[in-house]
Formats: sequence, structure tokens, C-alpha cells
Amino acid sequence: MTDTMTDRSLDELGPVDYIVVEFPAGASSFTGEMAKELLALVDSGTVRVIDALILTKDADGSVEARELADIDELGPLQAVEAQLAELLAAEDVENLAAAMDPGSTAGVLIWENLWAAPFASAARRSGGQLIADGRIPIQGIIASIEADEAATTEGD
Amino acid sequence: MPLRAARVGRVGVIGHPVAKTAVVAKAVTPGPAPIAKTAVVAAAVTPGRRRRI
Repeated sequence: MTDTMTDRSLDELGPVDYIVVEFPAGASSFTGEMAKELLALVDSGTVRVIDALILTKDADGSVEARELADIDELGPLQAVEAQLAELLAAEDVENLAAAMDPGSTAGVLIWENLWAAPFASAARRSGGQLIADGRIPIQGIIASIEADEAATTEGD
Repeated sequence: MPLRAARVGRVGVIGHPVAKTAVVAKAVTPGPAPIAKTAVVAAAVTPGRRRRI
């Protein structure tokens, strides 16, 4: 891990999230749009990218992991790569790849939510403790609203 | 290419095999009324909307 992570007080650290974005075989279309949007988030101070890996899962289920630095022509992402903290361990690769379909490629991204750090610090200073967090899937929102609308229609 | 040596032998941070989540794009794009579904989701997160309980 680099000094950028260890030198900061834990109290100042924002929540750390990860995503695994899968690209099914033959479905990827890299135009640079993703890199552009990620850089915009970094440049605006919204997030700090902590780690990134590219995973490939063969048809037989075997997994290969590549460092971002091993990608040819990183372009503007070179600035992001230079700041990575290499948080993921080799044993994380198999755990992350468990979500992938055979024959696919996936990008793993770990980032700190810099935007949330001041609020989280304030909550801790106020005596608050984070006891739950999560993400509401879009499907859940759709199901809730549709059920609500169906109930309203029946009531008419 | 192999992972950097610093990653090998360390304790991981993920801790368990990750399960695949439902693919969001499939919930929003296909279906009989994809535009309507998008509008429904947008309405659900619109400021000022209040629950009815």
C-alpha cells in the first residue's frame, strides 16, 4: 500500500467501494468514454481510485488477472495508474472472478468516496456509528413503484 | 502477465466469493415499455416525492 493511504488518518478516510464490470465475449466496445468519465470523477475530487485490475475468465473457468500498467496505450488513465495503492491481494482475484461468466472480461475498480469523507467524519465526531449500508437495485425500485401503482389502480 | 509480487501472500480484502448481481441494463432496456420503466424509476427518485405511510 502506498503512503497516500497510510499517511491519512483513518478518521479522514471516505467509504471504500468496489465494482466488477463484466464485458461478455464479443460485447466490449471501448471508445475511451469510460476512462473519460472516471477521470472526471477523479479530477473533481469526487473519488480517489485505490486499485484496478483487468480479469479474464476462460471458457474452462480459469482466471487471468492483469495490472492496469500492463495494458497497452493506457492514455489518460496513466495518471490514475500511477496513484494506485494495490489494495487487492492475489487471493481476492478468485473471489471477484466468481461473479464472472466464462469467456468474459471484467474490470475491477476500487475507489474511495472522497465526497462522503467529511460527512462520515462529522457523523463519527457526533457519536454516530455506521451500522448498515448498501445499494438499492434499480429492479427493486421498479418493482416497488409498479406494485404501488397496481395497488392504486385497484383502489380506483 | 502475472500480478505484482506485492499482491501475493497478502490477506485479501474481499473475503468471500462474489455473487453476480442482476444486470441493471436488462431491467431497464427490454420489456414492453422500456421508456415508461425509465420514467417510473426517475419519478421514484424525484425530489419531493413522499411515501404514503
